[in-house]
Amino acid sequence: MTQPPITPNRPPAPVTPRWVKIFVAIFIILVLVVVAMHLAGVDFGGHLQHMR
Amino acid sequence: MSRGLRKFVLTAHITFAVGWLGAVAGFLALAIIGWKSQDAHSVSAAYLAMDWITRFVILPLSFAPLITGPTLSLGTPWGLFRHYWILAKLVITLLSAIILLIHLQPIRYLADTAAKGVLSGADLQIQIQMVVASAAALLALITTNFLAVFKPKGMTRYGWRKQYEERIVSRQFPEDSQ
Repeated sequence: MTQPPITPNRPPAPVTPRWVKIFVAIFIILVLVVVAMHLAGVDFGGHLQHMR
Repeated sequence: MSRGLRKFVLTAHITFAVGWLGAVAGFLALAIIGWKSQDAHSVSAAYLAMDWITRFVILPLSFAPLITGPTLSLGTPWGLFRHYWILAKLVITLLSAIILLIHLQPIRYLADTAAKGVLSGADLQIQIQMVVASAAALLALITTNFLAVFKPKGMTRYGWRKQYEERIVSRQFPEDSQ
C-alpha cells in the first residue's frame, strides 16, 4: 500500500485547546476523589458490605 | 454513509441521548422523594419506580448512544478520534454507562428493602448516594449535549495528521477525492 508523501514543510501540530486541559483536569480530580472515597470506605464498598 | 442513513442514525442518536437525559432527571426526582419523604408508601413507590426505570429505560438508553455515536462519527468525515469534543463525549458516555452498571445493585437493594418496608437509618448512605450519583449523571449528560451543540474547536494530533494526509492525497489525485 502506498503511503501519502510527507512534504518537508509540514505545518506544526495544533495546540491543545484550553477547554480540553480543563476537562482533563476536572476528570483527574474526580477520579482521585472517587478513589479517595473508595479507600476511605465511604462509597460502594461500604454499601455492598452493608447490603450483604 | 448515505445521507438518508446518516439522518436516520443521527435522529436515533439524539432521541437516545435526550431520552437518557430525561429519564435520569426523573430518576433524580424519585431519588429525592425516596430520601426526603416521610410517607412510607411514597418511599416504597419511589424506589420501586427507580428500579424499573433503571432496568427498562435508563439502561437501554445509556448503551444505545454508544452504538449510534461511534457509527455516526466513523461514517462521516468527523471521525471518532479526530476532534476533542467527540472524544470527550465518548469518554463521558462510556463512564456514565459504567457508573450506572455499578449502581444497579444498590438500586435493586433499595427497591427490595423499601418494598418490604424495612428501610432503616443504616440505608441513608445509599439513599444519599442515589441522589448524588443521579445529579452527577444529569450534569454529565447536559455537558455532552453542550459539546454536541457547540462543537468546541480543537483537533487531536491524530485528526490533524489524518487531515494533512488527506489533503496531500486530494492534491495529488484530485479526481479520486471528489
